[in-house]
Amino acid sequence: MTKNIKRITEKDNWYKLDLSAIVYPTLQRKDFSSVYRLSVVLKETIQPTVLQQAVDIALKRFPTYKVAIRKGLFWRYLEPNQRPGPFVKPDIRNSCMPMPFKANNRYVIRVYYYDRRISFESHHSLGDGTGGMCVLQTITAVYLRLLGARISNQYFVLDVEQKPDSGEFEDAYLRYANAKVRPARPGEKTYRVRGTKEPFYTLNVINGIMSVKEVSAVAANYHATITEYFNAVLLYALSKKQESEWHLKIRPVKIAMPVNLRRFFPSKTLRNFISMIYPAIDPRLGDYTFEEIIKHVHNYMQYYINDKFLRGDITTNAATQQNPLIRIVPLFIKDFVVRQFYTKIQDCNSSAGLTNMGALKVPDDMKPYIERFDIYMGQPFSSRTNCAIVSFEDILTINFASSIIEADVERLFFRKLVQDGIHVKIESNRDMEVLE
Amino acid sequence: MSYCVNCGVELNEDLTFCPLCNTPVVNPAAHPVSVPAHSAFPKEKGQVDVVKRKDLAILLTIVLSSTALTCGLLNLFVFNHMLWSIPIIGVCVVLWVLAIPAVIYTKFTLYSSFFLDGIAVGFYLYALTYITDGNQWFFSLAMPIVILLTLLLEIFLFLCIHLPLSSLTTALYIFAEIPIFCICLELLIDNFIGSALRLSWSAIVLTICAIIIIALITVLSRSRLRNEVRRRLHF
Repeated sequence: MTKNIKRITEKDNWYKLDLSAIVYPTLQRKDFSSVYRLSVVLKETIQPTVLQQAVDIALKRFPTYKVAIRKGLFWRYLEPNQRPGPFVKPDIRNSCMPMPFKANNRYVIRVYYYDRRISFESHHSLGDGTGGMCVLQTITAVYLRLLGARISNQYFVLDVEQKPDSGEFEDAYLRYANAKVRPARPGEKTYRVRGTKEPFYTLNVINGIMSVKEVSAVAANYHATITEYFNAVLLYALSKKQESEWHLKIRPVKIAMPVNLRRFFPSKTLRNFISMIYPAIDPRLGDYTFEEIIKHVHNYMQYYINDKFLRGDITTNAATQQNPLIRIVPLFIKDFVVRQFYTKIQDCNSSAGLTNMGALKVPDDMKPYIERFDIYMGQPFSSRTNCAIVSFEDILTINFASSIIEADVERLFFRKLVQDGIHVKIESNRDMEVLE
Repeated sequence: MSYCVNCGVELNEDLTFCPLCNTPVVNPAAHPVSVPAHSAFPKEKGQVDVVKRKDLAILLTIVLSSTALTCGLLNLFVFNHMLWSIPIIGVCVVLWVLAIPAVIYTKFTLYSSFFLDGIAVGFYLYALTYITDGNQWFFSLAMPIVILLTLLLEIFLFLCIHLPLSSLTTALYIFAEIPIFCICLELLIDNFIGSALRLSWSAIVLTICAIIIIALITVLSRSRLRNEVRRRLHF
């Protein structure tokens, strides 16, 4: 009887996808993976059985991550998943591979271990990097506790004994989509990196590891923050690449960068709460020196990243989803339209992606166990490369992920850093023999 | 600890090439028989899981079996002046058998699923003899044609699997099997209607196919020609 009641309440429990999560499952295809990966490198080799226990314990705290994605008539939704799993697995070379929603016992998260590294992969429709980082750090904390460490609950480490707060499931976009005007989305064809596509399910990764102190000293020389500096370097690398190629038409170079909205709009949500901004330079107006690019990026960020502009963006995005006409259209038509919009317009809107999670806060008593963090974004439609930056203590990691063979953008990017006097250490999963 | 001579970046000890510019790492001081360096990434590649189409299989089974059942019951109790439900039930069974390798049991080899399809079609045609006058047409025409088609399909499958496969060879197999089928068909028809066994229209098919086959064999046997055809006709 009690079992029956429990089952009913569990069945009643379901979650709508949040505003930006709606597009990700639609786009999920063999050549596109909206899966991101967060990794933590510890100082001791990982013990799989203990890690499995830690995952089982920690995931009870995250009901919106222990879910399956299901189809309704009009929208997809998240349903609590009581199937066994998710199971920890030995790590693989091609991270962020696509997730069919019906495979893997319908789980849309994966946990991997390799040597000293724990990797957590999640489909983007469950949450953004901040949410995923909470899951990863909580799993890590539980894992370390099982091995006898004392770790306090702070920052990204949530209390596993506590009941989940309803604020953690909220679609925070809707709460803040209240601007009186809906600014138009930027829409302009930008420079696209050309390259030779890798065969199926290959993700080429190049990690650059450097010192935060060195980078911030260099950035300060240019009177910019670290994010602005890296944005400028990436814009510089992309524009140099465009210059070096033959083009019928020169196009603006644009970066898509997610901004964590929790900084401006208080919310405890573990689901998506990001908005995109697009720092850009337009080489058609003339040649930019690096100093000019960095100044331009600095000004753009100062001008654009504030609660007013971001609120406008949220309102524009929410308006589409809230439109009653759009709501009653069956899901398969929505899927088709969204896919067309994305491949034809949205994907052309930026030349590369860059995300900066910034300096990660870790509870003081967990710091001694951790070496560094890594972030990867999944395989995009086009031949662009995505760049993800994260730092912990004095180690800053830049993770480039792409599905093309050429590494021109990465090379220009890291060479610029080396020229500026930053010591960079490179790791890669690229198979060099293939390139001859 | 090695640095790339072009990029100036430090390289992880497992890298033998710079991933940025593909320059090999040459370190004269390194011991030639040193311990293999620890890689920062695992060697194994992951595979995306195959999705079981169980829901689709259940749905298909229910739809087909309920159609067959309702038609059978209606024929038995309501509209029972003739056996009109047999073709419908037969089609349901044939569709279900055709769906087996795709959604229900995916571990069958292609040979056995084609064999099953042939048997299903044969039974369907045999069931039709109950609503036609006599079963002579079935034994002298329908059954041999079904057997012949199944056999030709199995041979085609065998050739595709065991011999080198390309669009040219596939075309060769198809053009070789078409005249065989046509000749047998004409002989069977002649036999059924009781006239003398003579080739007429199938001889035309045979001639055309023979020309195509000879052309294809010529192209296939000359590698220069073969490459030329592939280059001009690639899509």
